[in-house]
Amino acid sequence: MHSVLLIDDDHEMSAMLTELFKRESVELSVVDDGVKGLDAALNGDYELILLDVMLPGIDGMQLLQRLRQQHRDTAVLMLTARGDDDDRVMGLELGADDYLPKPFNPRELIARVRALLRRTANTTMQAEKLVAGGFELDPAKAEVSCDGQSLVITPTEFDILRCLMQQAGQMVSKDQLSVAALGRKMGPFDRSLDVHISNIRKKLPSKPERIQTVRGRGYRLTTQV
Amino acid sequence: MNEARKRPKSRWYHSLTWRLLLLFWALLFFTASSGYFLAVWNRAAPEPKPVAEPIRRTLQPLLEDPATFLSLQPGRLLAGDYRVAARVLESGQQKLMLDDFLGERYSQTLLRFLNYDKTMQMPLDDRLLIGPFELGGNKVLITRPLQAQEWQDQAKAERELTRARAWTILSGSLVIAILLGIWLIRPIRRLSAATREIAEGSAEPHLAKLPQRRDEIGELARSLAQTAKDLATSRDAQRRLLSDVSHELRSPMARMQVALDLTDAAADDRHMQQLRRDTERLNSIIERILSLSKLENGLVNLNREDVHVGELVTQLVDDIHYANAELGQRLQQHDGDWPILQTDPELLRMILENLVRNALHYTEGPVELDYRSVGNQHRIAIRDHGQGVAPELLEKLFEPFYRGDPSRTHKSGVGLGLALSQRAATVLGGELSAFNRDEGGLEVVLLLPHY
Repeated sequence: MHSVLLIDDDHEMSAMLTELFKRESVELSVVDDGVKGLDAALNGDYELILLDVMLPGIDGMQLLQRLRQQHRDTAVLMLTARGDDDDRVMGLELGADDYLPKPFNPRELIARVRALLRRTANTTMQAEKLVAGGFELDPAKAEVSCDGQSLVITPTEFDILRCLMQQAGQMVSKDQLSVAALGRKMGPFDRSLDVHISNIRKKLPSKPERIQTVRGRGYRLTTQV
Repeated sequence: MNEARKRPKSRWYHSLTWRLLLLFWALLFFTASSGYFLAVWNRAAPEPKPVAEPIRRTLQPLLEDPATFLSLQPGRLLAGDYRVAARVLESGQQKLMLDDFLGERYSQTLLRFLNYDKTMQMPLDDRLLIGPFELGGNKVLITRPLQAQEWQDQAKAERELTRARAWTILSGSLVIAILLGIWLIRPIRRLSAATREIAEGSAEPHLAKLPQRRDEIGELARSLAQTAKDLATSRDAQRRLLSDVSHELRSPMARMQVALDLTDAAADDRHMQQLRRDTERLNSIIERILSLSKLENGLVNLNREDVHVGELVTQLVDDIHYANAELGQRLQQHDGDWPILQTDPELLRMILENLVRNALHYTEGPVELDYRSVGNQHRIAIRDHGQGVAPELLEKLFEPFYRGDPSRTHKSGVGLGLALSQRAATVLGGELSAFNRDEGGLEVVLLLPHY
């Protein structure tokens, strides 16, 4: 049984989602309030957090921000209102792993949750250590360091880095990175990947530019440091 | 209360009407009087100059004999063309004698000339006046007709003088006109820039110090600022309402979808299928209505960037082909150059996708995507090979919920695609229109401005 935390104040919906996920052998714990949600996220041991944006107490964005400030790298899937681009970009910038606009197709939600859970699990399975471009990545411990300094990164960022490191020095296409890290192909105007990359860059020492952009096509991890 | 305090006190002389009236009056008066003075100035007598040496040398020897000097009567020919113009004796009966003709017209000038200390010369109409020559307290003035060369010199000097004065007046009035123009135009420019800012959604347009002015422009600026604030308030209210409405509509929709999914698989009969389809449909209608409402109320945040339209179109065609190869094969893409536009890629893609899908759904034949640059506009056209649309219905195509052919309701959408596209085109600063082509079929044209 996977354990997933749902923070949403729509009780009817939460009840149905709990039932739905039980069939998929995922145990859903429900919290209906921002403050309690943050508490649960910080103290509980969850593989994934499903986070609604509109919440009583503190809203989803603030919750996410505080969670990441506490250096908790639990995977987070944001449930945003559809069409509100600002929300979805902001969520990703604050460190969400992925987002799903409401109302969602339940199968889509299950697919996204499965993809995220599989990746969190994967991280611990492939024990082969990777070293490239000044980075050291240890999948067994889910740890990354840059020039010996350890980094706190989310599972999605971890997967992106791993994908780049496996092909260090070569251009990795956006589609390939998206499949590896988000479990899906890029949609039109999907900026998720760009936001994740920019989040990683912010966590690295500012110089040199280790992750290079190949305009419009992909990214490359430079090996000349 | 706040507004009343901010509004400066205004008296009649702050009124632009009065100011303009007075200003134009003053300027017209100035122009008229400068013209008058120019005329007078030009006709003013030339200045006397010290006498030229050749003239002195001709006359001096003739005037050194006292007997001759005393015999000089005005009008008498002295030598050559030289004639006596006036004479003053130290004593005697007739102390002052003037030439009859000159004395009548220029007595003032002659008297002035007689009082000079030095011998001078000056043109006087068609003559040259020379003098005074003095001998023992007696004085004479001599005159002779102007010579050809002197005529020319004088005319030239006058012409130059006139030109210089004309230039002075011209450039002077130009400077005044420019200053006046700036004084009048600057606030108007600022105001029109502010209106543009308001149109782009600014709540506080940049008006500099205009609202503090006491004249009509200040009044206009103040009401503009107020309008901007009111507009922003109502836009915010609209935005909140829309966001609330969409949340309230979406939550039950989302629950319905989950509930349908939870319903036992055994109940997966005809009616359940219908229910699922209709939920999807309802969902898409709600999304489209919300988008339409956002576009119509100017609540869309534009992200303008360089858009490679060719790439965007290729991706669109690929996506349609991927979802349905039969539809994809009917699409023909313009193979010339596509432009790079400064525009919002998502809105542009939405417009093109709606138009292309519409054409594919309503007609059977090929659908062509074409691009041309026309004047200062980009023209993107989507052509189909169907039956076209009755001319009286062309306008209606862009109305929400209008459908060209009501019998095909299930195959086509809900009739919002074209309405959405048109609003989006307007938001991007362009326009959308539809024509029946002469060869048959409908052509929908998106015009976007060059930026």
